[in-house]
Amino acid sequence: MTTAAQKAKSAITLKGSAEIVCDYLNYGINSILFQRGLYPPESFKSDENYGLTILMSTDNKIKEFLSTTLGQLKGWLVDRTVTKVALVITNVKTLEVMERWDFNVEYEGDANCGEQTSEKPLKQIKNEIRDVLKQIASSVAYLPLLDCLCSFDIQIYTKNDVALPSEWTEAEPANIKNAQSVKMRSFSTNIHRMETVVTYKNDD
Amino acid sequence: MTENVNDTIMKMVKNLKASGQTEIVNNFQFAPLKRSISSSNSNESSFDEPTPLKKLKQESKLDLSYIGSPREMRRLRADLIEARNTILSLENRISHMHGLRKQMQLMFDEENQILKRQQDYDKKSIEELENQLQIIRKREADVKRELAEVNNKYQLLKIKTSEQVEKLEKSLEEFKEESRLIESEENSIIPGLERKIAELETMLEAAEEDAEAQKNLAVELEKQLFEKNAVQRDSEIKEQALQKAKLYIKELEYAKENVLEFQDQAKTQAYKLANYIEMEKENEQLKEENVRLKEEVRNKLLLEEEVYDLKNRLTKFKIQEKKLTDLQVQETQNAMYLNEWRAVARGICESTESDSALPHLLRSTVERLQQQELTLTSEKVELESQLKTVSHEAKVAKSELEKNLKLLGELKTTGEQKQSLIHRMQKKLLLVSRERDSYRLQLDSYEKDLTLCAITTTSSGSGPNQLQAQKERIENLERIVEGYRDMVNKLENDLQNAQPTAHTDTVPVRAEQISRLQDEVQHLKYENEQLRDRRDELEIQLESYLVGHDTLQGGQVLHLANNPLAECLAQRENLVDKLEQEVEKLKRKNKEHGGGN
Repeated sequence: MTTAAQKAKSAITLKGSAEIVCDYLNYGINSILFQRGLYPPESFKSDENYGLTILMSTDNKIKEFLSTTLGQLKGWLVDRTVTKVALVITNVKTLEVMERWDFNVEYEGDANCGEQTSEKPLKQIKNEIRDVLKQIASSVAYLPLLDCLCSFDIQIYTKNDVALPSEWTEAEPANIKNAQSVKMRSFSTNIHRMETVVTYKNDD
Repeated sequence: MTENVNDTIMKMVKNLKASGQTEIVNNFQFAPLKRSISSSNSNESSFDEPTPLKKLKQESKLDLSYIGSPREMRRLRADLIEARNTILSLENRISHMHGLRKQMQLMFDEENQILKRQQDYDKKSIEELENQLQIIRKREADVKRELAEVNNKYQLLKIKTSEQVEKLEKSLEEFKEESRLIESEENSIIPGLERKIAELETMLEAAEEDAEAQKNLAVELEKQLFEKNAVQRDSEIKEQALQKAKLYIKELEYAKENVLEFQDQAKTQAYKLANYIEMEKENEQLKEENVRLKEEVRNKLLLEEEVYDLKNRLTKFKIQEKKLTDLQVQETQNAMYLNEWRAVARGICESTESDSALPHLLRSTVERLQQQELTLTSEKVELESQLKTVSHEAKVAKSELEKNLKLLGELKTTGEQKQSLIHRMQKKLLLVSRERDSYRLQLDSYEKDLTLCAITTTSSGSGPNQLQAQKERIENLERIVEGYRDMVNKLENDLQNAQPTAHTDTVPVRAEQISRLQDEVQHLKYENEQLRDRRDELEIQLESYLVGHDTLQGGQVLHLANNPLAECLAQRENLVDKLEQEVEKLKRKNKEHGGGN
């Protein structure tokens, strides 16, 4: 009885795992928006998480957009219909895709065994996420400077049998010409595995 | 008395006559003027005076009849008419003036009243003001007196305070002296402290007294509070009692109304009771009637049911009649069919027996025929199987024939090839034999030369060199001859090898080889196709792994329609539109300016 209780205490459920992934995406995307200079730095406010100081946007429009998108994504992650989440940075003037941050989602464990739980300690997962976020923060060193007016979009790659919610539309996959890509570390909750890859336009 | 009265009347009559005479005289001379004056005078005097004047006019009219010349009369008449007109106009004016005067009088009266009222009011206000003035004067006097008193008091106070100041100064000096004394006497501090303690104790006592007084007060207040609460409770209880009483009153009123209603009802009931016996009789009558009606109703229902039943039966009968006619028709038809069938059966059975035996006969014949059919079908099946086997054999034979024909064709082609080969070989052989002949001729010539040379060597000194050269030539030629021999041998071998293969039966071996090769070819083709597919797959994979290309591997890409990029683009478009509009505006302005210049 006590062991079961302890198990229940330390286990991560499918929903919890989706929550962790969405939290990571929220912090990661905010960090990218700050690091890549898409929005003025004064519109960001520092927030402490994963043992790091991450700058989060205070723009209400961005916050609302992210919360809507990630809320929908959470549902899809629970349904196992998402294969990839892409943050696409586009030049507003020429509509050219400058950068694409791919967050590839893989599902681990058996989906059919009822209540799926993970025994992986939360601290370890957070450490893994911290490493990825550090890499994202340091990616500024090699990514080319975005010296034009750019904006971003979040595209979610799903399987075929997904009903389109209201206010959502289908999008074209973003291709980058003359591209180069860098693979970051990945983290896993033993239910979802998330791999982060940045693909950017090579100026040379 | 009566005499006096008569005298006065007489006087009046005389006076009247006299005045009338004088006025008549006046009328002759200044009738209009006098009248105007009199009328103007009458305005000033009382209002009732014009009546005697009118009487006078009448008198003057009467007097005119006896005056002499008609011209004068006419003139007088015209004057008279004029005078009358003026009298009328003057009377009008008088009445108008009277009206005006009355209005004026009214106005004057009103104004007079207003003025009087104002005067009263002013008088009152003056009196009030005078009163106030007197009061103020009194107050002034009082204030002056008070001022004097206060000044006196102030002086006294000043004196007193100066005295006090002096006293205090004195006491200060004394205190200073005392303090000095105290300072000198250090021991005198203790009694001071003791005094202080005593004072504090007294203060404490006073405080305690105060506290006790407060406590007492609190107790009293509590008592009062308690009393008040009791009073409040009493009042609440009373209020409740009042409400109860009110409710009770309402109930009583309701009961009273009920009683009135009951009284009414009792009256009606009494009336009804009076009519009870009659009603009972009626009731009995009605009951009897009711029973009768019920029975009638029952009878009616029974009849209705019967009618309904009969109707149903009628419809059923109709349907059955129809059926009957149909069945009769069918029966006649069937009888006809039966006769036909019987005739047919008789024809089949070839018998003229009675109808009873006919079905048995027919059955037996049918069975016989069925058996016959069975045997025939079995025979047919056998024959079909035989036909199949034969046709299969024929097919096999055909295929063999085809194979043999193919073989024949191949053999023919090989034979032709071989003949051509033989032909070529013979040609070659001819060439070779000719060459051989030529070489033989050469050899003979060389031998001849050799013999000649041998003769010459014996005769001449330069023999060894020539011999050496000829030896070399001979060796060379021998080598060539050897080569040719080898070639000839080889060709002969070839010929021999070719000839036996041409004659031996090599067809099955070749067929096997061909089939094997065909199999191999097919296998290779299959492998080739497989490899091509694999290559295509790999190419597709390669494309998908190409950096920067984000191909969809099934599934769909979704995003929020209201994303920041779309928003940014919309803003930009708006901006561009605005700028374009501005540009157009500026262009227009520019044109206008250009046109103006």
